[in-house]
Formats: sequence, structure tokens, C-alpha cells
Amino acid sequence: MKKEMDVDDHKLELPDLEAKYSTSITKGLVGAVAAERLLRDGPNELRPPRGTPECVKFGRQLAGGLQCLMWVAAAICLIAYGVQEGQGDRGSADNLYLAIALIAVVVVTGCFGYYQEFKSTNIIASFKNLVPQQATVIREGDKLQINANELVVGDLVEIKGGDRVPADIRIISAQGCKVDNSSLTGESEPQTRSPECTHDSPLETRNIAFFSTMCLEAGPHPDTQASPAGTATGLVINTGDRTIIGRIASLASGVENEKTPIAIEIEHFVDIIAGLAIFFGATFFVVAMVIGYPFLRAMVFFMAIVVAYVPEGLLATVTVCLSLTAKRLARKNCVVKNLEAVETLGSTSVICSDKTGTLTQNRMTVAHLWFDNQIHTADTTEDQSGQSFDQSSETWTLLSRVVTLCNRAQFKAGQENIPVAKREVIGDASETALLKFAEVTVGTVSEARGRFPKVAELPFNSTNKFQLSVHAAGDRQLLVLKGAPERVLERCSTVMIKGQELPLDAQWREAFEGAYADLGGRGERVLGFCARWLPAGTVAAGTDPEALPEVAVGLCFAGLVAMIDPPRATVPRAVLKCRTAGIRVIMVTGDHPITAKAIAAAVGIISEGSETPEDVAARLRVPLEQVDPRQARARVVTGAELAGMEPGVLEGILRAHPEMVFARTSPQQKLVIVESCQRLGAIVAVTGDGVNDSPALKRADIGVAMGIAGSDAAKNAADMILLDDNFASIVTGVEQGRLIFDNLKKSIAYTLTKNIPELTPYLIYITASVPLPLGCITILFIELCTDIFPSVSLAYERAESDIMHLKPRNPRRDRLVNEPLAAYSYFQIGAIQSFAGFTDYFVAMAQEGWWPLLCLGLRPRWEDTHEQELQDSYGQQWTFEQRRYQQYTCYTVFFISIEMCQIADVLIRKTRRLSLLQQGLFRNHILVIAIVFQVSIGCFLCYCPGMPNIFNFMPIRFQWWFVPMPFGLLILIYDEIRKLGVRRHPGSWWDRELYY
Amino acid sequence: MATLNEKKTCSERMENFRRFVWNPETKLFMGRTLINWVWISLYYLAFYVVMTGLFALSIYSLMRTVNPYEPDYQDQLKSPGVTLRPDVYGDRGLQIYYNTSENKTWERLVTTLQTFLTAYTPAAQHLNINCTGDKYFIQDTFDGPNNTKLSCKFTSDMLQNCSGITDPTFGFPEGKPCFIIKMNRIIKFYPGNGTAPRVDCTYVGDESRPLEVDYYPANGTFNLHYFPYYGKKAQPTYSNPLVAVKFLNLTRNVELKIVCKIIGAGITFDNVHDPYEGKVEFKLKIED
Repeated sequence: MKKEMDVDDHKLELPDLEAKYSTSITKGLVGAVAAERLLRDGPNELRPPRGTPECVKFGRQLAGGLQCLMWVAAAICLIAYGVQEGQGDRGSADNLYLAIALIAVVVVTGCFGYYQEFKSTNIIASFKNLVPQQATVIREGDKLQINANELVVGDLVEIKGGDRVPADIRIISAQGCKVDNSSLTGESEPQTRSPECTHDSPLETRNIAFFSTMCLEAGPHPDTQASPAGTATGLVINTGDRTIIGRIASLASGVENEKTPIAIEIEHFVDIIAGLAIFFGATFFVVAMVIGYPFLRAMVFFMAIVVAYVPEGLLATVTVCLSLTAKRLARKNCVVKNLEAVETLGSTSVICSDKTGTLTQNRMTVAHLWFDNQIHTADTTEDQSGQSFDQSSETWTLLSRVVTLCNRAQFKAGQENIPVAKREVIGDASETALLKFAEVTVGTVSEARGRFPKVAELPFNSTNKFQLSVHAAGDRQLLVLKGAPERVLERCSTVMIKGQELPLDAQWREAFEGAYADLGGRGERVLGFCARWLPAGTVAAGTDPEALPEVAVGLCFAGLVAMIDPPRATVPRAVLKCRTAGIRVIMVTGDHPITAKAIAAAVGIISEGSETPEDVAARLRVPLEQVDPRQARARVVTGAELAGMEPGVLEGILRAHPEMVFARTSPQQKLVIVESCQRLGAIVAVTGDGVNDSPALKRADIGVAMGIAGSDAAKNAADMILLDDNFASIVTGVEQGRLIFDNLKKSIAYTLTKNIPELTPYLIYITASVPLPLGCITILFIELCTDIFPSVSLAYERAESDIMHLKPRNPRRDRLVNEPLAAYSYFQIGAIQSFAGFTDYFVAMAQEGWWPLLCLGLRPRWEDTHEQELQDSYGQQWTFEQRRYQQYTCYTVFFISIEMCQIADVLIRKTRRLSLLQQGLFRNHILVIAIVFQVSIGCFLCYCPGMPNIFNFMPIRFQWWFVPMPFGLLILIYDEIRKLGVRRHPGSWWDRELYY
Repeated sequence: MATLNEKKTCSERMENFRRFVWNPETKLFMGRTLINWVWISLYYLAFYVVMTGLFALSIYSLMRTVNPYEPDYQDQLKSPGVTLRPDVYGDRGLQIYYNTSENKTWERLVTTLQTFLTAYTPAAQHLNINCTGDKYFIQDTFDGPNNTKLSCKFTSDMLQNCSGITDPTFGFPEGKPCFIIKMNRIIKFYPGNGTAPRVDCTYVGDESRPLEVDYYPANGTFNLHYFPYYGKKAQPTYSNPLVAVKFLNLTRNVELKIVCKIIGAGITFDNVHDPYEGKVEFKLKIED
């Protein structure tokens, strides 16, 4: 999968190529052959990745661990119903009722889960938009317009500016053709395409244009006779899924979707719960059989224990908590596709970030100028809020004039009211930067150009490496020239310093070299500017551009302008925040190492004072090989170095250097980097925007795609999308992710606690044969109705401490549900709740005539449907139905006890360490509302008419609400004592055993 | 996440589990040192001792507050249940089938009645007093022996033809069987609002169809002096008054559905959820 592309067509000579594809480079394919090949290779389009069938997805939702247990429970209920019905037993409809309720619970939660998954997979349509609509093809010598998906290998196609390249094409002839490969390589610089083979690698060579890349529109040339730029003819060498982009797409779909840490946590914990449920159920099944219950009854006990012990509402709670956080994140410009990704972000320990667009603004901007032998800093902020430089020098007047005039870029019409930085420009990146710079610093460019009409022009080409134009300026002509600084300097004889033209001697040359090296070392692209006044008529209008260089000698050097894609203003703070949060930021880019390093240093990925091995070598003046890598905190690794590395070496490097930058990397290498980090145990977040990033995005624990610059393929592969393309948003995401992990812990602790008071009634019922204190339907009401809202409200709890100053959690050690959490919830708080329930139960029984001692062992006669005159402790006689309503009263009383204790429980779960008073009892308004809601639901269930016969709730006496309250108070006090101990004695036995 | 969910073989899992149970290097038994286990056990022991103590205290104070003579609430006992003797249950409720020519089929029923009535012999009732007034026997004071209240005598001879004294077979062989109707006791329940409640037996669903019945005592009434009931502690010798029903002319070889209701103010027999409240339904089939 991770093999590099094995294309060699770029190295073939044209005749060989013709032979290979049995085509003609002048006439194209024969129609019949094309049709045959279309049949053989299939249409030229990307097949969308094959998804799981919908019914299977839905089926999976119904067949989780807990769901299976519920199915078993429902089946037991149905069997019990069938058997009892066969025996003509009264009251057996309860079992049918319960079976239906259980199935409904499974199906409804299944639908809920399916809906969530459905939503997350359907946010983005797949690779469809990559396919160009029409292509110009030459077949049998005729130029045709056909649908691009009908292209076949060997077809001769024509592309022009503005087209998407319709397939992988070997260029045969080209005029000024440039393509934007940024979606493939991440390089934003337009690439020239020409027929020569310039590189061994098919990705680097100039004579191959790739499927789905854009052929750029050439700039306007109203007054030159240059040939119409931006066209090319080429031979199709690959179509559809066999194109480079297609292979990347299949690479992406071949990468398995990794389970998120939270999914692993939940699975881990569901397994334990399911195991314990079966263990408890089976134990009491055996106990029941030994005590002498009939087989069917024992099975019903098993079922009841499963229902009591399984936290039915838990998965819904987790989903709701996560989607709440997802909503919160969406407001902060992070759209989460996969809910579980919210938490993954919180446990992230490494972020592999793209450079262009994520860390930087993705626009070339003038960063520095060198004139008057001094480096001036230009304002690179997005909103032009920075400091400007001193513009009083006359040199600046000349330089700004050259910058304005020697520039073919221009604004699109009708944008006068838009801020300069946001205006659209026709022209390449550096010219755009210069144009905008001139517009901002000097004033309206078009006006200046109007004052100095262009007489003649020589556009930039790769042989000259400069561009010059001649302008009429009243009675003189002004020749302006810009280009590669060394080429510009060659043509200069003087230099302008503070308005004075001085001869360009060795001293100035040295100053120039120094400034050039300095700016180049900052990863900036440097251009030189010079000018010369000519007498009027030196260059006539319509002069052959090729003759112009002869005139351009003995020029006056004006200055250097250095451009860079500057970092976003918010990024350095965000990177620092990551650092304090223990998250390592690694830059992975397709750009040059020097630029990458400069940006890394600017945003703090390479921190101040950190050195790369090269820096150390330069400082100590020793060869690079002698440098101890441990001396260098930082390291820049290029794709070429990476390709030569043995497996395992990369892990070593990642371990040795905390600050890493990868430059000039290919999509496959990005994948390798991500995997290496993961092998080191890190949870890796990857940001990216291009198609080339999609495999890494998918491989990452959390893939973050850019909303503005991102390609659809990247968005499709990602788990999260940053709407503002801003790295800083990721940090917000990390914060929210950590918070939700903490809060989920609280939520789960809350949810688990009540399973014990739900379970103990059955245990006591079986072993002590008391009338059943709590029914299965009532349990379902606690799990799925009254307790959902409070447990969700814990998701709104604010952080107890500054979570961004902690290390990311260790996914092996810091589990969502750990032993202290389970033990404390089950055996301490749960136990107190059970005692509360039983106290209330015995109170309700005793006050209605059944004293506790009578209750023990009462069950067989109590449940005998033929017993219509059972005597209570006062000698009164009860019919079966009267006892049944008394039993429902017990259910209700037990229910209310659990609810009362759960109110105390939700309050103590607000904090794990801080005192409740430190956290603020009522600061979480949602939680307060949830408690009110819980009590209201309780009241409704108790006192709504008709409830006894529908849901087995009885209108209980008011004072029975108060019986469990002292136990609730006990829970509050006990937990405060626990937290006090935990705070006072960190690391002590108490802390280890009781802090979860 | 390759690092987190690597697949383990079964033997590795077993090895891991064994290591979890006893790790010889760290001396950890099930994840804790032995001394740690002792501490945690002691902690839980203390916790549960305290909790059980609190629970015991709650139950103790509950028992101190409940009234020993009458329950605090009678929320489920709004109307008394009614029972039938002999009580033989079939598939759906009471079902009394017998064959007059086969002694065995009805001897069982007769024995049930005889056993039931042993509690109503004069000897069994000797502690109770004879009551004559046809009104509620209200006792505000404890006039009986050992600080109890008095109970009225109900002896089986009050059931006359169905007492089992004159006819020890209760009319079963003749096809004119006796059934005994009993009303459940409810403390301080005053049935009938001053008029004695009476038993009324009819065919189910066809109340106009005449059913020839003799009631004992006369009119099938429960005399008011048996009410109210003051509870087990106040009236330890209390016995429920009975009404016997003798069916005189029953069609043979047909399953008859009969319902005996107790008619009286404060006694409801139309509770759809409780078939034994204020009435008793049964199926009767006499074969010959």
C-alpha cells in the first residue's frame, strides 16, 4: 500500500510512448480502439469507497454486548410468559409486558445510535466533485468534446487555463502551462508543465500533469504579443482509480478506520459490565436452583438481575454528552463528524500539522524589505494591524515605483470596497503579494500604472529569471526590472542609498549578499528590484521583447523584497498552549525545509533557543556527523532523508528530538510519520487539506480537515473539520475533549451507582424471600427516564482545575472507568442507596401492616395467586390483588428512595476532588433544572391517575419521600469527607483507593 | 491506536490473568499487596458495620413508632376480600367439580369443610362471649382478659343445615352442596353502615335466572356485632363470621358459574382488577 508510484512514462521518448499506448501523438486514438479500452479499463472516474450496507450498520447497533444481554433477557421473559400462560397463571402478562419493553429499549437505542452514525457519515459527499465534466480530446485527427469519464489510456487531450486536468497526462507540447498541484503535494506554488523530463520521480517531473489538478488561468496580456499562455496537449497515461489521485484515494479507503480511544474505553467497560451481569445472574440462578426454586423462576431471576445490573441508559447518556460537546465545538468552528472524535481530541498527545493554510495564512505576503542597507519589516498581519516601516526615504519611492510597475498582476474588477487583503487577483502568488503590498503602502496601483503607461515588456521566464518593462514617464522612459536577486545584481552598476546613487562596489555587494542570505535563511522568497531612467524614445512601442535585455544594463539597484506565507496571528499562542498541555506539535509539509523551519520557528514549533543538528554543527564548526543528536532539541527531516531510513529509525528520531519538522514529504511518508508516532503510543491528530493528506487523516486517531481550503477527499477522510482553517481551533477542541472525558467519568459514575440499589432488591428477594421490593419496569424507568437528564447535565459541569496544564491522559493507564470509580460507586455509594431503599421499603410495609420480621420468608405465600386471605402482622386478611398493589407501593417507595439518593449522587459527582462548595452548588444551572425535572417526573409517575395498572407506580404517602433523605445527606457528607482526604493527603492510601 | 488493541492469543490472556492473580515480582495478589488487601477489607468491614448499624437503628426506631394495635395506613384494604370453602382451584380460579356417585370426588370437599369448621366448635370458641345486639360491637376500652378486647362467639351450629352436625356430608351426595362464604378481616372496618351485610349468590352474567339457595344464618347476613375487628393483639380469639350457602336445585352435568357477592354499604364488588374483592366467583359441576 505504501509503495511509491511506479510510473516511468515521463522518461520515455515520444515514439516509445506512442508505441507503448499504440496511439498517435498527432491524430490521437481511433474511435473503435478507444471504445474497446473504455470497456476494458472502465470509465475514467474515481469509484467511491465501498461502504458497509445500511442494514448491516443498523444490525450492528442492535448486536452490541449490552444489547445481546437485553435480547437474552427479553427471550427469557417471552419464554416465561409462554410457559406461565400455558399453565394458566394469572399475572404472567407482566413478563410479556417486560419483554416488549426490553425489545423497545434495544430497538430505540439502536435507532438512536444508527441515526448518529448516519449523520456522521453523510455530512460530506465523496470524491464526486473531483471529476471534470468535459474534456477536449483528439481522436482520428478530429477535436472532440467528450465527457471526461469516457477518456481512455492513449487518448490525446488538450487542456487550457481554468480546466481541471481530466486524467494523468504526459505532456507532449505546452505553452506557458502551469498547474496547481496543491491538492496533491500541498505545495501552493504553481508548477510549470513542459514536455521535458526534469526529474526521476513522476511527482516532481514537469512533463506529467495529474488528474484533478487545476490548470491555471494565465494572467492578462493586453499589450504583448506573447503566445496564448496556459495550454498544453498530452497523452493520457492513466485513468480513473489508476491515476495518482485515484491511488491516494484508494490508499485512504484502504486505511482502516481506527477505533477511537473513547470507543475502546466504552467497549472495555461494556465488556466488564456484561461479564459482571452474567456472573451475578448465573450465581443467583445457581443459588435459586439450590434453594429450590423451579427452573423457570430461576431463569426469570437471572433475567431480572441482568435487567437490574445493565445500565440501559448509559450508551444514550454517553452519546448525548458527546453530541452536546460536538455542538459546543461547532459554535467554535470545529465541526465534528464522528462524535467519539470529541474525546479523542482530548487525549491527543501529538498533533501532526500541515503548514500551508493551517499554521500560515495561505497567502504570500511581503514580509521584509532591504533598502538603504537596512532590513525593514513589513506588516504581515491578516488585518493590517501591525507596525509599518519608515517610508520617508527616497530609495523607498524608487523601490515602490518598481514594485508597482514591474508587475503583471491586477485586481479583478469591482472590488473597490473590499479590504485589499481580501481582494481577488489575477496573477501568480508573488506578484499578487507585491500588488497587494503596493496597494496598501503606496496607494492605488492602477492610478500609478496609468501615469506611467507601459511601452514594452518582457515577461518572466525561467532562463532569464527576471522580468522587465519599460514605461513612459513624461519626457523620459523608466525601465523597471525585478527577478532573482543575483541576476538582478548582475545588471546593476549603481545602488541607491538614501536617494543617492552610489557606485556598486565590493562593500555594497557584500552588504547585498549578507541581506540576501539573511532573508533567504528566514525561508522567504527574495526578489531584487532595480530601475533606470532612459531618454524618451529609447524603446519604441512594439519593440521585440527579446531585444529588451540589451537595454537593461547599468541599472540602479533599488532593493530586495522578501515574501513569505506568514503564520496566522493566533497560532503561536495556540502552539504554546499545546506545549503547556503536554501536546507535541509536529509540522509535516510538502514545502522547502528552510521555509518550513522558518515558519516552525515563527510559530514556536521549534522553540526559541532550540537547535537542529545542522545549527549545532555550524555553531561548533564540526561536521554534521560528529554532532550528538541529543544536543539538538529540534530536527528538520526531509522526505528524501525519510525515504532512505531503515524501519524503526524514525521512531528513534521522534524520541530523540522533541521538536520535529518534516519537509518535502509525500502522502505515503505522511502516513509513515503518523504510524511511527502511534507506535510510540501517542494519540495522533493530523491536520490536512489536500487529497494527498487523506490517507494520513484517516490513519490518524483524529483527522482534522480544513473547511475552507480542504478538498472533499480530505473532509471525507477526516473526523473533524475546522471551519476557519485555524490551528487555534484545535486547541479549543483539545480543551473541550479533556473536559468531556472528565465529565463522562462523572456521568458514568453517577449512572453506575444506581445499579446496586437496583440489584440488591433481587438478591434479598431471592435469598431472604421478602416480597419483591423493586420491579423490572420500575428499573427501566429509573434507567431510561428519570436519571438520563441528570447524568447528561454533568456534561455541562465546568472543569475542576486548569485542564490545559495537565499532560494528555495515558490511554493505557488513565481509564474512563477505573477500579476506584467502580468500587466507590458500587460498594459505597450504591450500598448506602440500597440501605436507603430497604429502609423506606420496610417503613412502607410496616406502616401498611407488614412488619419486617413477617416479611422475611413471606414470598411463597405472598405470591400465591390462590391465597386470598393472607394475614398481616395485625391479623388483617389480604387478597392477592391487594398484596399486589402493596408490592407496587414498595416498588414506588424504592424508586423514590433511589431518586432521592441519586439527587445527592448527582451533587457529589459534580466534583471528584474539589469540595462541592468550592465548585459552587448551583452554578451548573442545567444540573439544577435536571434535578427539578427528575423530581417532577417522579411526582408524575407516582400521582398520575392510572399509573398503578399501567406502569406499576402507586400514589405513595408523602412522608415516604423523606425516609431516604437522611441517607442522601449521608452520601453528601461522606463524599465531602472523601474529597477532603483526597485533597489533604495526595498520594496517600486514601487517595489511591478513593479517588477515581 | 495499533498499540492499544493488539490481538492477544488465548495463552497470553491466560498468562496475563495468572499474572494478575499472583505477580511474583511485585508481590501483588489480584492487583494489590496482601497488606493492602487487609487494609481495604478492614475499611469495607468498618463501612458495612457502620451502615448496618445505621440500618438497624432505622428499623428499630420504625418499630418503636408503629402502633402495635392497628396499622398506620390501610391504603390497599378499602374493601374486604371474600373467600369460599371448599376452595379448589382449577385453571382459572375456583373450580369445584364432583361426582355424586363417586364418593372419593366429594369426600375431599367435605373434609375441607369439616376441617375448616373445627375452629368454630364451641370448645374452640369458649373464650368468646355470646353477643345478642344486632349492632356494631364498639369497644373503646380493653375489657377482656390480659388487656384485650372481647370477641363475639361464632359457632358452627349457627350454620344450621350446613353446620355439618345434622348432615356430616354437607349435602354433597344429594347434589345440594353447602358452601361457606367468609369475609376477610379489616381492622376497624364497619361494613354495611348500620345494616348487616348479606351474601347474595347468582349465576354469573345472568342475574335474573333464579338460583334456589338457602342461606345460613337466615338471610345470609353477617351479624353486625362481629364488627369492627380490633386486630390480632386486641382480639386474639376473634373469628370471622361465616355464611353458609346451600344450593338446592342445581342442573347436573353442566358447568355452572356462580358468583356470591356481599351486599352492604362500604363493600365494593365491581373492582375489575380484584376478582376476590367483595365477591367470590366459582365454577360448579355436579355429575352423577
